[in-house]
Amino acid sequence: MEKMEEFDSVVIGAGHAGCEAALALARTDNKTLLLTISLDAIAFLACNPSIGGTAKGQLVAEVDALGGEMGINADKTAIQIRMLNRGKGPAVQSLRVQADKNEYHKQMKKVLEKEKNLFVRQGEVVSVEIEKGYKIITTNLGLKYKAKSVVFATGVYLKSEIIVGKSREAVGPNGFKNASQLSNSLQKLGIKLLRFKTGTPVRLHARSVDYSKMELQPGDEDIMSFSYMTEGKVENKAVCYLTYTTPLTHEIIRKNLDKAPAISGEIKGVGPRYCPSIETKIVRFADKERHQLFLEPEALDTQEMYLQGFSTSMPAEIQKDMVKSVIGLENAEIMRDAYAIEYDCIEPTQLKPTLELKTIDGLFFAGQINGTSGYEEAAAQGIIAGINANLYNKNKPQLVLKRSDAYIGVLIDDIVTKGTNEPYRMMTSRAEYRLLLRQDNADMRLTEIGRKVGLVTDERYQKFLDKKKKIAEIEEILKEKVKTDEKVKKLFEENGESLPKENMRFYDMMRRTNIDIFKIDETFNLFKDFDKRLLEVVNTKIKYEGYLKQQQEEVDKMLANENISIPEDFDYNSCKGLRVEAREKLTQIKPLNLGQASRISGVSPADISILSILVKKGKK
Amino acid sequence: MKENTIVSISTPLGKGAVAIVRMSGKNSLKFAKKLFHCKKLENGEILPRYLYLGKFEIEKSVFEECLMAYFQAPYSYTGEDIVEFQVHGGVLLAEKIMRACVNVGARLAEAGEFSKRAFLNGKITLDKAEAIIGEINAESDGELKTSLKITNGVLAEKIENTQEKLTTLLAEIEVGMDYPDETEETQLKTNITDKLSEIKEELNKILTISNSARYLKDGINVALVGKTNVGKSSVMNALLGENRSIVTDIQGTTRDSIKESFVYDGIKINLIDTAGIRKTKDVVENMGIERSKSSLNSADVVLFVLDGSETESAEDREIENLLKGKNFLYVINKTDKQRKLAKKDGEIQISALENKNIEELKKKIVKHVIEEEIDFNALIVTNERQFEILQDAAKQIEEILKEKVKSLDVLSMLIKKVWNTLGKITGNTENENIIDLIFSKFCLGK
Repeated sequence: MEKMEEFDSVVIGAGHAGCEAALALARTDNKTLLLTISLDAIAFLACNPSIGGTAKGQLVAEVDALGGEMGINADKTAIQIRMLNRGKGPAVQSLRVQADKNEYHKQMKKVLEKEKNLFVRQGEVVSVEIEKGYKIITTNLGLKYKAKSVVFATGVYLKSEIIVGKSREAVGPNGFKNASQLSNSLQKLGIKLLRFKTGTPVRLHARSVDYSKMELQPGDEDIMSFSYMTEGKVENKAVCYLTYTTPLTHEIIRKNLDKAPAISGEIKGVGPRYCPSIETKIVRFADKERHQLFLEPEALDTQEMYLQGFSTSMPAEIQKDMVKSVIGLENAEIMRDAYAIEYDCIEPTQLKPTLELKTIDGLFFAGQINGTSGYEEAAAQGIIAGINANLYNKNKPQLVLKRSDAYIGVLIDDIVTKGTNEPYRMMTSRAEYRLLLRQDNADMRLTEIGRKVGLVTDERYQKFLDKKKKIAEIEEILKEKVKTDEKVKKLFEENGESLPKENMRFYDMMRRTNIDIFKIDETFNLFKDFDKRLLEVVNTKIKYEGYLKQQQEEVDKMLANENISIPEDFDYNSCKGLRVEAREKLTQIKPLNLGQASRISGVSPADISILSILVKKGKK
Repeated sequence: MKENTIVSISTPLGKGAVAIVRMSGKNSLKFAKKLFHCKKLENGEILPRYLYLGKFEIEKSVFEECLMAYFQAPYSYTGEDIVEFQVHGGVLLAEKIMRACVNVGARLAEAGEFSKRAFLNGKITLDKAEAIIGEINAESDGELKTSLKITNGVLAEKIENTQEKLTTLLAEIEVGMDYPDETEETQLKTNITDKLSEIKEELNKILTISNSARYLKDGINVALVGKTNVGKSSVMNALLGENRSIVTDIQGTTRDSIKESFVYDGIKINLIDTAGIRKTKDVVENMGIERSKSSLNSADVVLFVLDGSETESAEDREIENLLKGKNFLYVINKTDKQRKLAKKDGEIQISALENKNIEELKKKIVKHVIEEEIDFNALIVTNERQFEILQDAAKQIEEILKEKVKSLDVLSMLIKKVWNTLGKITGNTENENIIDLIFSKFCLGK
């Protein structure tokens, strides 16, 4: 064998998945090589300059609770912070920050460079081969590396092509070089590929925008931060704007539809429904008179503004007219053109819920290569792939988060069980137990797990324990019984509640519809020294107790099936009781347990009851 | 593993002298104690595999005589604790007993669940279990997806439409939560309370009509009561148009509740003649009287037969008391003689002897039971499980409306539960369908 440098793990790609995977590996004492096509593309925010948002905020909090980097990096580089869905209930509240795109990249690069077991290196991987259980990784310059495990986190770089009008260029996002050969190597390993598409809107020069015609979107002033590790508060340093398309915009687009690659059939890749180009919106929702657009600053050190809602692959010349037809953009200067991008990804049902390939041990996949979209979705898979590659290297049982543990569990279960026919985006409506999977309790759900796999540092763990202690203290205070005095009367009367018949605990006062922990605090001044976020946690716990219990009961029901595991070599084809379609699907997906089996489309409840019998028999 | 206690009617639906309702699970006996009144049970002296006679409380303070048997785990069909109730024929009574079991905490068994448990506890072989469950699944699968549509396309469509309305409502709530910034597109425009009330009404309508329509399948059960010698047997014979019961002038010759049926206006009417309700020391006749009281419970309408030529007696008043709260009709017989009886509310006058007004009586019986005008081809749920599901869904909506939930995340969870409940009939339980609707209905995204 040739002489080659040896690593425990090699991570291919340094986007949001690759960074988390590499850090998770290096931090658990694996000698790790992180290969990236360009060092300048590390943690690049290729599309909108923001982190978080609905459901995505939950993912960031979960990555953070497990000991990941995304939340910390977002806090460090945030220029605006907002809490979405206030007033719609705690389960769907999500944080979003506008991040400084340049800083985000720089800060993450710095963190990677400081990690002692991590070797960051520029290079395009052209092949991965299996030799005597080892993985041999070869770059375009002929360098070879040897590793026990590999994490593929190639993002949208596989055979990617950027499309603007008639122009089609074989490059990666923003014109970075693409990975032209790795797809073929994956196919040689027997992996089935899909071709997906996504896109990004124009970037405009800030000086050319007439903000007076737009609506200001400031940040929230009372929000702290994403990460449990961040001290202090994230400052709002920038604002966003809201504007609209006009009838003229729609007219220009309609007139030029024949030049739109997405409509004319020029683009074959499957695009996401939740991220349609503006021309798709106008075709599909023809009766809508206008569409909302947001203008977001890309970074503090640049004039570039991101025009959210306006992604297109129209010819550059037409893009100019389209932009100028938008309210406030009459004189706008385009700095970067909008484009569509097509890329290869793998069919994700080829993976186990550990993100390891079913057919070859030690190959892990994370991020957009799995057919997902979004920085947060990528980071979430990245940290799990990193954790499991480490466990694989050490020959330990791997980690699977359940649907009832985390959004991460929902995300991975969805893609490996059902697959996806468009880039998969996380949504709160995908999480059936979302009342339990809140942003505010991500650490309560996951920090112990992160600790066990070795990613939660002593410092983070101590903070977690302190928080638990503080919560217990708050709950203790709330158990105190209070005399029905003037203060109590005032509190109840002002909130339209009938007066308590006898002395009541604070805890029980909170069971009244209109009384919460904050009103109690206002009246009795109990929690001066406590973090408001902790009060929020306790408030939710008490006010939603009944509903949380209901959902927990559903979870317990679900877990009954989840806990019946199916042997990996189970022979579905010999089960005469199963319908043929079910046999095929089960053979393809190879579910880990009865619960996962029940979520495969084409497997009926009848099949599951037969299967439960067969599995039970097999064990006897 | 924590297992629920399940219940189902284990004898085939339809005619049969005796119906058996079976509960299986560790709470079987506990639930039975709440419903079945029998000294031995109350004292905890029940022995397995013995029959006990007692009274089953089918509704609050309404009792039905029935037999109970207890099979102790693991010596039972399923290998769990089993309690069986044996009641006198009639689907209606068996269903009432089953629903009473559900009300105290048992769950309706899924198709094949008894056999599945029997296998899991090693009571039957795999081959047998597979065969049984396969058969039942084929049936229930078909029932859910095809037969419902084939036998009752209008109903299937109606339930699908109702669920569809919930899908739309959910999509609207969900899109606002997943895309809060796109307010112009995603702001909630539907009044949730109104929408839920509308859906609840729809479900209730199906339930009411179905309830009436059950009579199509099983017929209307009509019991005749009245003191001895008012001519009950003659009335019955007049209705049947043939001599069935022995008619004599000697008091107490009709000792069995006889079931005879005739068809009127396309609806089967089952007649239960009863022994005269009369205090007696004759043991045989006493049993007949007990039976009479029991037939009152399984009747959809009771014909209270009175002799128009006599004044009201203490016995009549006693029977009237017995009928309180029940659906009954005053049938004044012997109009061929001079009237002495005071007028009764809603009475119908007939003469069984002269066959007078009998057609009117038949019409009145049907009208009295079937309140709703039924479109016989439309909204009829004849399957007990489906009926139960619809009822469950309507109840869930009622609770949501009662609780006045404000928080959208909770509201959505509760509505989703209703949606899933209806999905058990329509087969639509894929969350993806809600998400599909979000993207097809709303224009979203960057």
